[in-house]
Amino acid sequence: MARRYDSRTTIFSPEGKLYQVEYAMEAISHAGTVLGLLAKDGVVLAAEKKVTGKLLDLSATKEGGYGGSGEKIFLLSSNVIGGLAGLTADANSLVNFARTAAQQHLLAYDEEIPVELLAQRLCDMKQGYTQFGGLRPFGVSLLYAGYDPHYQFQLYRSDPSGNYSGWKATCIGANNGTAQSLLKQEYKDDIEVKDAIGLALRTMSKTMDSTTLGSEKLEFAVLTLDPVTKQPKAKIYRPAEIDALLEKEGLAKKDDDTEMKP
Amino acid sequence: MSIMDYNGGSVVAMVGKDCVAIASDLRLGNQALGVSSNFQKIFPITDRIYLGLPGLATDVTTLKERFRFRVNMYTIKEEREIEPETFAHLVSSTLYEHRFGPYFCEPVMAGISKTPSGGIKPFIAATDLIGCLNFAKDFVVAGTASEKLFGVAEGLWEPDLEPEDLFETISQTIMNAVDRDAYSGWGCIVHVITKDKITTRTLKGRMD
Amino acid sequence: METSFGITGKGYVIIAADTTSARSIIKMKTDEDKIKTLSPHLLMAYSGEPGDTVQFAEFVERNIRLYQIRNLYALRPAAAAAWIRRALANSLRSRKPYGVNLLVGGYDTASTDPHLYWIDYFGAMTEVPFAAHGYGAYFALSLLDRYHDPEASLEEGLAVLRRCIDEVAKRLVIDPGKYKVKVVDKDGVREVEL
Repeated sequence: MARRYDSRTTIFSPEGKLYQVEYAMEAISHAGTVLGLLAKDGVVLAAEKKVTGKLLDLSATKEGGYGGSGEKIFLLSSNVIGGLAGLTADANSLVNFARTAAQQHLLAYDEEIPVELLAQRLCDMKQGYTQFGGLRPFGVSLLYAGYDPHYQFQLYRSDPSGNYSGWKATCIGANNGTAQSLLKQEYKDDIEVKDAIGLALRTMSKTMDSTTLGSEKLEFAVLTLDPVTKQPKAKIYRPAEIDALLEKEGLAKKDDDTEMKP
Repeated sequence: MSIMDYNGGSVVAMVGKDCVAIASDLRLGNQALGVSSNFQKIFPITDRIYLGLPGLATDVTTLKERFRFRVNMYTIKEEREIEPETFAHLVSSTLYEHRFGPYFCEPVMAGISKTPSGGIKPFIAATDLIGCLNFAKDFVVAGTASEKLFGVAEGLWEPDLEPEDLFETISQTIMNAVDRDAYSGWGCIVHVITKDKITTRTLKGRMD
Repeated sequence: METSFGITGKGYVIIAADTTSARSIIKMKTDEDKIKTLSPHLLMAYSGEPGDTVQFAEFVERNIRLYQIRNLYALRPAAAAAWIRRALANSLRSRKPYGVNLLVGGYDTASTDPHLYWIDYFGAMTEVPFAAHGYGAYFALSLLDRYHDPEASLEEGLAVLRRCIDEVAKRLVIDPGKYKVKVVDKDGVREVEL
């Protein structure tokens, strides 16, 4: 009888809860950490990779593509990057939906989709799965780091229930509470991207389980404005670039730790 | 009076030595009345493919937006830029989808494609309004001044032109052709695409 | 004999349209407003097939308003114009296309500059410094070629509009009569008397 209110996603328990939605959020709190930081002149995303190992074929991520290794951070539109925590398969489906929604807006209005509108598009769908029967909610939380001319740089977070909210700095996935309290202490309102990068990496190094940071455990991305065209420019770092960045910030792992050396 | 001639406009593309060029006029008209002297009908598709869309202006804009949608989805999913040959078939199949109620545009494209051995090859192509592809080795023309463009290009074009000479050839071709056409003109724009650079120049033309 | 004008200047767009509502050779009304205010910084003059015009203009008006209510900010002029153009282009290939010609003028509060779009009932759209629809276009466009100044003050802009209106009244077989003139700039939309 204890499972009576578990069997379907769309039934309230007597306490007024939707258990399946709460389980989905619980699943996410075990997923790799994704952290977002809003700066004056850009937005920064950092993510912890969970799928690692020396047999994993990463040859594609070192060369072509946009950078990243396609696990946590994705380009959603030319003005928005997404950081995803949760079930990878669900995440891929949401990424595809987001990209299609962004292109449909571009087709209808001949302008890049405003960041909040893209978050709304995804949340409308996510909400639908908490109300219409027979289906499981998306086990994914997202961070949206983007730019539009209405509100300039923005950072949003959405969860499986379809809730979303705007943030200056936030975190989803494992240890998000620790990360958020760290960010609360360290964040300054007029922070610049170059300092935000350091803060993001330092926070990640403190919250992640592993003692040392390296490109095999980290994805990283920055959205800024191109100084010439004044258009948003997303940069998802390649493994080598992440290692170089960690070196610069003094967070790189020591040489004697050779376990994951390529 | 064909619907293809309603708004006027012409495009030409030419092959050179390791480079291609594409040029168009800038007029948008309402039959004989000129409305705009800055109506772009050549659009960048990737860093090294340009697409010219002469024809009915409403379809020029609609097709431009549709191709941008398709190419963006291709790029973001494949994580690489589309190749000119692939894009040409995308154009062709998009137009043929509307075989019995076509878009009134005759696309012209120019780009640099990669060869399997790692070299580069200039690429031009054109289709009719229902997507029949024409992969030419020298030049392709379309629009209300197409007959004149054929004539001038036939006289001026020669194989293996260097980028600067190709620019001169295509500029003379488009300018002299549209001056003989009442529905094209009002200035021209020329893009020369080489392996690592794109040069864009606007040309002043007769305003009558 | 419907006529509408659009003129941009330094930080503003003027939209003017005649106020005659005619059926065949009969004037039914001489105070028709053919310029809709779509959002705080966006104007649209419409002309063409009687019936279609008001129907389409109201359809556009309500959709632009809906976007503003949903998203708490209005569409920028370029985005609104692109949406309206697409509506006409889709309509063109429907069973009964709308026969409506438009001038869309707006002030972009994000980039702080004025924009004017000429759109015909095919869905052909182009951004222009000045534009006209109807028979008046044949007289006014050449005048505007000579006298238009993108840096002109509002007074100078209205003086050029006056020239256009006078020329059409003088040379067109039937004088379109009175005009309604609206201006959009950084302060929003307002009607002006000539």
